Amino acid sequence: MSQLFYLYGIISSSNDQKNLFSSYQGIDKKHELEVKEYGELSAVFCYVDEEEFGEEVLEEKTNQMEWVQEKAFHHHEMLIKLRENATIIPMKFCTIYKTEQNLQSMIDSYHQQMKDLLQQLEGKEEWNLKIYCDRDKLTENVGDHNLNIKKKKEEIAQLSKGRQYLESRKLDQYIQQEVEKEQEQFSSKIHDQLTEYSVDDTVKKNWNRDVTGRDEEMCWNSAYLVPIEKVESFLALVTEAKKTHQEAGWIFEATGPWPAYHFAKL
Amino acid sequence: MSHRETYENKEIGLIDILDTVLDKGVAIKGDIIISIAGIDLVYLDLRVLISAVETLVQSNMDSQKLSSERFDQEKEELTYATERS
Repeated sequence: MSQLFYLYGIISSSNDQKNLFSSYQGIDKKHELEVKEYGELSAVFCYVDEEEFGEEVLEEKTNQMEWVQEKAFHHHEMLIKLRENATIIPMKFCTIYKTEQNLQSMIDSYHQQMKDLLQQLEGKEEWNLKIYCDRDKLTENVGDHNLNIKKKKEEIAQLSKGRQYLESRKLDQYIQQEVEKEQEQFSSKIHDQLTEYSVDDTVKKNWNRDVTGRDEEMCWNSAYLVPIEKVESFLALVTEAKKTHQEAGWIFEATGPWPAYHFAKL
Repeated sequence: MSHRETYENKEIGLIDILDTVLDKGVAIKGDIIISIAGIDLVYLDLRVLISAVETLVQSNMDSQKLSSERFDQEKEELTYATERS
């Protein structure tokens, strides 16, 4: 039976790491996690059987949503645990090596980059932020506070019935544009404040309602790499913004600390 | 209570996890023997995300009927998003 290497991530070698992760159950629920030293770097992995994780089997398994959910969840959970104990370069879900030689030659050829990356990630945490808004509430607010819109509304009231209809529709479109502008401006202002505390950040695509399954609309989706000593201030700012803007229909969701998925690039 | 305690260990949505572990994290092309972590990953992402969305949509809109037209639109958006990233 052939054994493959399921790689979770790369950490810096240290003396006490051997027993650090050994009691963790691996992705196949049979093997335990192991740490293998390659000079200054160590690989955190578990053995998996080719029967279960070989290329062809995997091709099939990844079509089964339940399998993907369960295993992706395990991958994530494990990296959360590993991150608590060591600075780690997180690998993508299902990063599997056929032989130890392949794993070793990968580490050899990226040795310096990985060392540099680990140094950059040291003492920092990834935090993610999503901002949602109640679109109806925001539309109402924009309508009430935008002078252009107010003026247009008054103008429309003076028109004949037929023209009123046409102009109202135009105005509605304009209001929606203003609402989107407001979402963008509001969120990027918060984002700018947050980046004062982070050393790196990335803005992701917003997901629509069918993905999030929420009534509120997502207007910001971002990740930050924050030095540990600044995390409190970073989160204080989120909490403050949350309280201040709740009334107006804004919802803030911060999650973390994540393994530095968004900032581990080689 | 510190701010950290308020936020940490909060439940994270499955879609959030999928989006992150399938799309982010280090993958080194060419060195990895198993193809799904290499070049084919975009393909996998898309497939998985679409089925994730499908599942979510179904559970979220139990009572509502989902037109296939709307679903196709979602798919297109996802395709676009995945290709862009």
